Amino acid sequence: MTHVSSGKPKIVPITGAGACAQAMRQINPDVVAAFPITPSTQVVEDFSTFVANGQVDTEFVTVESEHSAMSACIGASAAGGRVMTATSSAGMAYMWELLYVAASMRQPVLMSLVNRALTGPINIHCDHSDSMGARDSGWIQLYSENNQEAYDNLVMAARIAEHPDVRLPLMVCQDGFIISHSIQTMQMEDDQAVRAFVGPHKPYHSVLDTKHPVTWGALDLQDYYIEHKRGQEQGMRNALRVIQEVSDEFAKTFGRQYGLFEEYRLDDAEIVLVALSSACGEIKEVIDVMRTKGEKVGLLKIRSFRPFPYAQIAQALSRAKIVTVLDRSASFGAHGPVFTEICTAVSGYSTNHPLLLAHTFGLGGRELTLQHIEHIISESRICLDKGTVGNRQGIWINVRGDKQ
Amino acid sequence: MSDLKNWQDLPLGGVIVEAGSAAKYETGSWRTWRPITHREHCIHCLKCWEYCPEDAIKLEDGTDAAGAPRKLVKEIEYFHCKGCGLCVRECPVNKEGKAVALEFVRDEV
Repeated sequence: MTHVSSGKPKIVPITGAGACAQAMRQINPDVVAAFPITPSTQVVEDFSTFVANGQVDTEFVTVESEHSAMSACIGASAAGGRVMTATSSAGMAYMWELLYVAASMRQPVLMSLVNRALTGPINIHCDHSDSMGARDSGWIQLYSENNQEAYDNLVMAARIAEHPDVRLPLMVCQDGFIISHSIQTMQMEDDQAVRAFVGPHKPYHSVLDTKHPVTWGALDLQDYYIEHKRGQEQGMRNALRVIQEVSDEFAKTFGRQYGLFEEYRLDDAEIVLVALSSACGEIKEVIDVMRTKGEKVGLLKIRSFRPFPYAQIAQALSRAKIVTVLDRSASFGAHGPVFTEICTAVSGYSTNHPLLLAHTFGLGGRELTLQHIEHIISESRICLDKGTVGNRQGIWINVRGDKQ
Repeated sequence: MSDLKNWQDLPLGGVIVEAGSAAKYETGSWRTWRPITHREHCIHCLKCWEYCPEDAIKLEDGTDAAGAPRKLVKEIEYFHCKGCGLCVRECPVNKEGKAVALEFVRDEV
């Protein structure tokens, strides 16, 4: 299947949230049900303008809560529609039980998630507590470093989620405010080219097909529940292949190549940092500087956190001597979720056994500066020279009161 | 369990693609108490049929005392009867068994 762009792409200055709203306009979903919450509000706000202006054919459902938003999305998807929503933080937490319902009913609902801290104390700024908490819900999770990636990931989302071997909901994550409210220039593709790439939606056992009546969401007990869960797991395993296939086709069509993760100067790197989303931009900057000083340091930026590409990441880390993981969420009483996955990849899928160092940073929008990253790399080098991470294991970065 | 399907053979997401398939589900296996009919006492008021949540009271064509056609209680269908006892509770016939009764007995486990 080939796609020919009928118009020209445009270089536009746009916020990350605005970029996702534009992607939604171009996708022109059948139904959007959403409730505004900072910092995802602009996604829904911009999209509602497109609805009011008649630029999309979407049925826009202004629900009274996020619980209802996701419920409406599931119902509309079971009815056979292509369905999208956007949310953040407490909004996603309020969707909680429905996140699992969407995934287990294999409804490919698409979400633009703008990452924000979870309340306690109240905070509106970025960390990954919301999506990391939902990592077991059965949603595909793609993380975006910048506006372009948030837009591109959303353009690819429908093709991945609706693939017959996958049929799972998908969230595209971008960092709240840092990306969602920052204007960057990015390449916005032609409307028709995007629509051609995304293609038509094929309903699966639509409840509106009255000639073939079906039941969705029935009681499922000891005799079949685990078989349905096993099928759901297979959808996730298949998604690893499908994400790459769709990304490759996206590259052929639009020229930007994505993988399950990005390797930045990894080839000869002894020190490898692992991170997600916007922090990776800064980390690359510092890596470039430290490379000029002779430090062999690189970055592994995870794009697909669910499904997690264990074997591929283990291969990419097969030459690393120390892997320093930066988690932007806390799992209280344990190390962060990215760190534990990296440990699984290295210990279960590789014969290389680098030192593994866990750091937590950036909760509630706390800044991670270039100096912090340089310090993390320098300390990783010291650990490597000593042959142990010692008491640096589990340090929280840029926290007053902790020795850095 | 041998007639149950493997996960690869199931429609996605637990969707049930056959209408009315609940009739195939043996809710009778849930039963610990079993209602028993005494047809010689039955006045065929059909209250048990009306109240049964599983449609487990089966009727047949018959006639009333004047010979007019009407439905009569035939039997209890134990594939679906869960033993909830609603039929026993609703049966209006005297407990001494003067007319009808549904008697509750414990199923053998």
